[in-house]
Amino acid sequence: MQMGFYFDQTRCTGCKACVVACKDWYDIPVGEATRIKILYQEQNKWPDVRVKYLTVTCYHCLDPVCADACPEDAMFKRDEDGIVDLDVEACVGIDECGGGCLKACPYDAPQFGTESNPKMWKCDLCVDRLSKGQQAICVESCPTRALDIAPLDELKAKYGEKEVVVARGRKLKEGDEFFYSSRTKPAVLINPKVTT
Amino acid sequence: MSMQEITEADDGVKIVRATSAFDCGGRCPLRLHVKDNVIIKVEGDDTAGPETQLRACVRCRAYKHWVHHKDRVLYPMKRVGPKGKGEFERISWDEALDTVATKIKETKDKYGSQAIFFLAGGGYHGNLHGAGQIGKLLSMMGGFTTDYGNISSEGAVWAVMSTYGDVMVGHSREDFLNSKLILLWGWDPARMISGTNTMYHLIQAKEAGVKIISIGPRYDDTTSTLECEWIPVRPGTDTAMMVAMANIIIKNNLQDQAFLDKYTVGFDKFKDYVLGDEDGIEKTPQWAAEITGVPAERIEALAKEYATTDPACLMDCQGPARSAMGEQYNRCAIVLTAMTGNIGKNGGSAAGGLMGIPVGHMFRSPGIPGMKNPVEAGAPSIRGTLDLKLRVIRRVHKVKISDCLLEGKAGGYPADIKMVWSVSNNYVNQYGNANKASRALKQVDFMVSNEIFMTPTAKHADIVLPVTTPAEKSDITRPWPSGPYFTFINQAIEPLGECKSDLEIAYAMAERLGFNDFKQHENEEWLRLFCENNEQLAEHIKDFEKYKEEGVVRVKLDEPIVAFRKEIEDPENHPFKTPSGKIEIFSQRAADINQANVPPIPKYLSTAEDRFDPLYEKYPLQVLTPHGRNRVHSTLTNVEELAEVDPHRVWINPIDADPRGIKSEDDLFVWNDRGKIAIKAWVTERIVPGVLCIFQGTWYDPDDEGIDRGGCANTLTNDAYSGGGGAILNTLLVEAAKA
Repeated sequence: MQMGFYFDQTRCTGCKACVVACKDWYDIPVGEATRIKILYQEQNKWPDVRVKYLTVTCYHCLDPVCADACPEDAMFKRDEDGIVDLDVEACVGIDECGGGCLKACPYDAPQFGTESNPKMWKCDLCVDRLSKGQQAICVESCPTRALDIAPLDELKAKYGEKEVVVARGRKLKEGDEFFYSSRTKPAVLINPKVTT
Repeated sequence: MSMQEITEADDGVKIVRATSAFDCGGRCPLRLHVKDNVIIKVEGDDTAGPETQLRACVRCRAYKHWVHHKDRVLYPMKRVGPKGKGEFERISWDEALDTVATKIKETKDKYGSQAIFFLAGGGYHGNLHGAGQIGKLLSMMGGFTTDYGNISSEGAVWAVMSTYGDVMVGHSREDFLNSKLILLWGWDPARMISGTNTMYHLIQAKEAGVKIISIGPRYDDTTSTLECEWIPVRPGTDTAMMVAMANIIIKNNLQDQAFLDKYTVGFDKFKDYVLGDEDGIEKTPQWAAEITGVPAERIEALAKEYATTDPACLMDCQGPARSAMGEQYNRCAIVLTAMTGNIGKNGGSAAGGLMGIPVGHMFRSPGIPGMKNPVEAGAPSIRGTLDLKLRVIRRVHKVKISDCLLEGKAGGYPADIKMVWSVSNNYVNQYGNANKASRALKQVDFMVSNEIFMTPTAKHADIVLPVTTPAEKSDITRPWPSGPYFTFINQAIEPLGECKSDLEIAYAMAERLGFNDFKQHENEEWLRLFCENNEQLAEHIKDFEKYKEEGVVRVKLDEPIVAFRKEIEDPENHPFKTPSGKIEIFSQRAADINQANVPPIPKYLSTAEDRFDPLYEKYPLQVLTPHGRNRVHSTLTNVEELAEVDPHRVWINPIDADPRGIKSEDDLFVWNDRGKIAIKAWVTERIVPGVLCIFQGTWYDPDDEGIDRGGCANTLTNDAYSGGGGAILNTLLVEAAKA
């Protein structure tokens, strides 16, 4: 079974309740490192401007290149739910290994704090909460119900699959359209905002 | 999830059902995880399914960081440096309260009770622990001078009172699904929430195929999310656009004349104005295009579409009413709803800005009974008056507090103020013209302020009393205008430091002042009494224990609430509460005031600091000052976890930025004759050229040169009010340049 992340870009107001809720739940301090981030895109000129927000977490790829890139074999994909996880004991810290996982990931999912030689951490789809029958904290917090986390097949059946850009070997940056990495195959479903 | 008010788990974590009581008016149910007297996590509403949960926004997700902020004022403080510098030393409660008690007595003996100014705001209150009892205490000592007016909505209030005679002009949000066309006019619920779940209701309406159009100076997040058409309009010109819409409706004979004849008075006079018979200027779309920046064809098409879509819902929110002729905008919106027969029916709207529904409305909140202020005895009745002159005989308009403090009776104000007691407000930061407010407070003989943080206002005090947040006490609350539900705040933690609630401070002071029976009941007993005696609580809360346990009572509506349904269905038995019993497009009461800025029919009038003001040559940029997305006015500003998700920036269009050599993230100065702020730029296509957007609520922080490094919008705004009493915080002109 593969757990998936669903994002309805047509409902997202960019409010970042998910970001603050996640940081609250996991005691993540102020700073750039975050399990979930919102990217901003502004298109066209006044008055025809259009705005899109993009929610980016770890997308728990079917082909986790981060795991391949880790020199310590610290990362692995769980059989039971497809969540890409980290054996934190085995992680030697980015100063030691150079951060191959972050370099490989098209979505910059691996996160590092500001302490010396920080170990990697990232979104784990709130496995603890899910195991207790609770919604992931980002899903629970979204005021416009733009997020969902469930088995990928269920998400596809519920929301349908929409056409998205497919690309290889790129990094998703602020201002970009979402792309589905054909290299890593993220377990993500998006209802894209289609603007002209 | 257990439906207990407080559940204990094995790891010593208890989960407390509460809400935050911020002045956002949400009152969204929260589950606070508490361990060792610390809130460690926050979860939201679980008393309903995902579709109908009352979901908190980004603000309360950082609640623990506010309650446990390192800068909490934990002890009574006494000023040691010059006034306004914020230099204090810790003192005991005894010394603090003795000082305040002495000052009250001295001020009264030497100058009279009217020399005490009681300054209370919207802060962080539930129904029990409000500022009211401090007011009562002062009344028992002889009284005080205080302010009138509501910064948020006074213009809208005047508009609805003059036209409808009633503030209950809202529909419940489910009614959006009944509409065929929704006009969002100056309304951005994605950012300022405007009632929990409002944005979700609009999304559902959009997904159900309801057409939505957004009118305002910014391509805001509501507009971008709904992907609806944006009609950019210059600030302060909304009334002109509406008047031109009325022109098109009349010229094409699209108005619902039967509705106008049956339910309104004065349409003919409005028609004369619109067609140019009154002043020789026909209010055509071309006339409006020059003023508003909206193309004439677009105004014409919108007018026709609005008039021929049935039902259509005009949601004119309060932001545009916080302008120099603000009440005219809400009044004109009401006239448009009347002309199209959209009042009192599903899918329509009554307009008028306030959006309140009568179930659990904030104006009907319970409280510990107060006492009439002796200083106001003998003042003329203000019941039913639209004449603001009557309201400021004993009181001071909120935005004129500074002038009152500086000029007193010589300036025409009710009293010479020698003492200020400030509770749950941030007047310096939020009421307009921060520099003047600071100057005003610095020369007041004595000031005491009840505070959670050392805010810009607190810095001016002589004594600061530390108060508890809502997390440190129990209370009951209700949302502002939209609901309908009631929330219960179960106390989550013991008061931090030596903090007391404003109510406890009133009790402690009462003892000192010799009032032995001031405290009548324990807190819990009061909460029960509120539920028994307040009409709405008694109707909807049958089981107090359950209310406390579950933290929220949701009122089930058989059908959506529609404003004025009875007045429209049965006007004989349910006349409007106006002198004529009808919707007053022409208001005789307004005419009787005989003032140029209080026209008896809604009108567009040019004002100071609009684009036609000669000052425009010196200050060619208008400014909007909307609510911040990641805070509630000036509350939560100091929470880093929220500041980082929405850094303070001034929005500026490239058309204005390029000639000034301004790029995003550049340090700018923005200034006018009232003050100068430092702020970073955000260059964006999302705002009308010639307009800046500075979100209000960051803290005024003048450096040695008097430049406000906090970028407070109100360093630039005017301390003036409109003909209807609106705070004109969205009418101002500035210039901007790289620092």
